[in-house]
Amino acid sequence: MKNTIKVERAKKNWTQAELAEKIGVSRQAINAIEAGKFVPSTVLALRMAKEFGTPVELIFQLEEGDWV
Amino acid sequence: MEKSKKHLSDRVPVYACIWAGSYIGSLGAMKTLELSPAVGIMLTLVPAIAFALFLYKFYRSLYFMDEVQIKIQMEAVVVAFALALFTIMTLGLIDLAVELQPDDWSYRFLVPLFVAYYFIGLFISKRKYHIGHEEHD
Repeated sequence: MKNTIKVERAKKNWTQAELAEKIGVSRQAINAIEAGKFVPSTVLALRMAKEFGTPVELIFQLEEGDWV
Repeated sequence: MEKSKKHLSDRVPVYACIWAGSYIGSLGAMKTLELSPAVGIMLTLVPAIAFALFLYKFYRSLYFMDEVQIKIQMEAVVVAFALALFTIMTLGLIDLAVELQPDDWSYRFLVPLFVAYYFIGLFISKRKYHIGHEEHD
């Protein structure tokens, strides 16, 4: 799963800590999600999309290896 | 709300220290002093109660963790549990082959070992999720 969190953050000029505070998680969690180390729950992904004002499927996209 | 969340998670290490302190205290007292069985049982109950309290606080703190933090804790416990099973299995079999002396080996030695297993699991899991050496923005 790839994501565009870093790009979306850059557009809004938010730091990881600022985004973390907005969606109610730790900065370490944002770091892990952004680096692709952790796939967030649907609720968290939707909260993130809402904060960015972007559809969730634009932030999180499936990659080749995600298909069985 | 944020303050109370932090307050609760900050308290978990305090309860862990209380448990560790009571365990070491009870262990030391029972090893060095000539105590009646009744006092010995009382001293056994003190760390047991402290541990129950610590466990309760640790479990409650999970409610205030985010998804990544919960996963890290769960993975640490899984690693610790697997290593604990491995240790007990191996010791049990060794005990059948060569009778272990209580002075050389007892259940008491398992406590610090299992705690160390949890920290090994925590270290592995944190590394996996890049916690501890994150890049900043």
